[in-house]
Amino acid sequence: MSETCKVSVERRGDVAVFWTDGYINNQGGEEIAKEAYAELDRGARALVMNLEKTRIVNSIGISILIEVLEKVMERKAVLAFCGLTPTIDKTFRIMGLAQYAAIYPTENEALQAVGATA
Amino acid sequence: MPSSPTRSGAVSEDALRAPGSVSGLARALAALKRETDKPLPVRIAEAALAAVGARRAAVYLRDGDRWLLGFDSGKEGVPIEPPKALLENVVSDGGRLWVPLDAEGETHGCLALEGVEHEEPEELAAALGWIFGSVLAASRLSRLVKDAEFEIKARLLELESLYDLGLSLSGQLDISALADEVLYRSISLTDARKGTLIVFGERGAGPLVRSVGGDLLPAHALWSWELPEGEAVINNDAARVPTAGVQLSDCSKCLAVSIAVPGRRLGVLAVADKESRDGRVLDFTPGDARLLSLFANQASAAIETTRLHREAIEKERIERELELAAAIQRQLLPRELPHTPGFELAGSTLPTRQVGGDYFDWFPLSDGRLGFVVADVSGKGIPAALLVSTVHAAIHLQIDASETIVDLVSRIDRHLQRFSPAHKFLTLFFGLLETGGDLVRYVSAGHNPALIARSGGVIDRLSATGVPLGLLPRGSWREETAPLHKGDLLCVYTDGFTEATNGDDEEFGLERLEQGVRSRRTLPTRQISDALYGEVASFAAGIPQYDDQTLLIIKREA
Repeated sequence: MSETCKVSVERRGDVAVFWTDGYINNQGGEEIAKEAYAELDRGARALVMNLEKTRIVNSIGISILIEVLEKVMERKAVLAFCGLTPTIDKTFRIMGLAQYAAIYPTENEALQAVGATA
Repeated sequence: MPSSPTRSGAVSEDALRAPGSVSGLARALAALKRETDKPLPVRIAEAALAAVGARRAAVYLRDGDRWLLGFDSGKEGVPIEPPKALLENVVSDGGRLWVPLDAEGETHGCLALEGVEHEEPEELAAALGWIFGSVLAASRLSRLVKDAEFEIKARLLELESLYDLGLSLSGQLDISALADEVLYRSISLTDARKGTLIVFGERGAGPLVRSVGGDLLPAHALWSWELPEGEAVINNDAARVPTAGVQLSDCSKCLAVSIAVPGRRLGVLAVADKESRDGRVLDFTPGDARLLSLFANQASAAIETTRLHREAIEKERIERELELAAAIQRQLLPRELPHTPGFELAGSTLPTRQVGGDYFDWFPLSDGRLGFVVADVSGKGIPAALLVSTVHAAIHLQIDASETIVDLVSRIDRHLQRFSPAHKFLTLFFGLLETGGDLVRYVSAGHNPALIARSGGVIDRLSATGVPLGLLPRGSWREETAPLHKGDLLCVYTDGFTEATNGDDEEFGLERLEQGVRSRRTLPTRQISDALYGEVASFAAGIPQYDDQTLLIIKREA
């Protein structure tokens, strides 16, 4: 596994869907934050992050995701995660991310929950 | 242009915009509160510019006894210099003001201003310093609280991870998945950028290597990395200094630990380059080392358990296969006694393992004669059993085509020379009872001397008439005959009988066997056989024996 994280984004109406592939550390977190802020600036009202190809998240990555979450909340938007490994799921719950961001098992469930249009 | 009236109608807009006006100050502070998208030093500088009408403002943040530039409103060029030391009061020098940002007796930062238009800039600046200092202090306190909360959660996550890892590994029998789990958690919880976990292979198998961000350990050092047992090694200068004697690949700081059970290394776990939020690589700490050691301990227990479990499964599989092999080998033994008027027979074999290297058989021939054989293959267990199968097949295939016993034995020898592995041989006694005659013909290929107990009690030994089969490229054998009168008893056996040992390492020996045969020669052959097996067992007194025991008894009825 590479220590670099690839992030791809696709817009579904006013919902931005993110796919990560790799380690969410400082580099991966910054990459996600950059794309997330850009989507918020473009008016996204919901961000759905599919992490099914991510097996590792460290505390730097989490702190950046928390910053993203704070920004999302400032903009009155919503953030949802899906495709988490059990370890990452538990990590997000302990670190408080799950307090303000919803976690769904699958991308479809997340998209349905945030009301994404096709 | 005349000023338009304000809502109150009392103060003009120009007056409100004037540096130091109450409303201007209020607006500046409102912007400070509102524009949270901007970093706090930017907002403080912009509020200061609006409040005092300066051309340029810079905000320095205190970091111990240093100043860190937070923001300078100057678009380019050299930033406004920070003060030389911590300030107690506003300092004015050459058109510049340095304002301490204080709160509750502590300096949190400094505001530097250029081109202030206010008439009493120092007094206004002092007031702003107190306001901005309080904002800065509140922000720093808020961040400290957040950081502390994050730290507590991170410690909780470590504890939970250790607990979860223990649970997860206890049910994990796939070493590869186990290695991933340990490596990912180790990297994640130490904030390392990369890591490698190596589990050494057993019984000649190659090592299992799992890495994130490239292999840390060069291939030549996979087996030789001698890390101390029980504690992790911190090397915060890994780019220049070898770690436990090995120069690691492409990392600047490293933390490594041996995965071991007492007296045996199972693998190594190493992580490298601990990240910080600002992109620097931090030193690994004793806390990181303790955490990695705990992971390594859990990994070693899980790997060992997995291996033991696998070995148990493998052992069970081998046991099942041996049971099957034993059943197959039992099929090679004669299942019923041949019809031999005037003779009484008994034959049996007792392998020391599930399968053995001894073999006996008899062959009623079409002309009424009876052939019989006792063989003992060198070695034990499965290899010996496979050779027994080969000999069994060879005898059954060649017996009808052979004109004499020597011819048969020679054919078996050639078969073995061709098809059996080198250094494998067997001793064999092949006999032929003549119909109604007083004669036994035989070839003994290096076999223990068969015994004939005469009806009068005398014992004759039938010595070897050639070399063992499969031993020499051109062996030769000769056929001998021995009289077998009414009441005489022929006993053919393997060396598991005579070489059975007791607790004093004493062998049962040929003399005891001869005595046993002599004293029971008048009994039915089955009884003689059972009694001889029993006598050897009593002699051994529970000491495990290492050689199969086989006995064939033929008695000419009186």
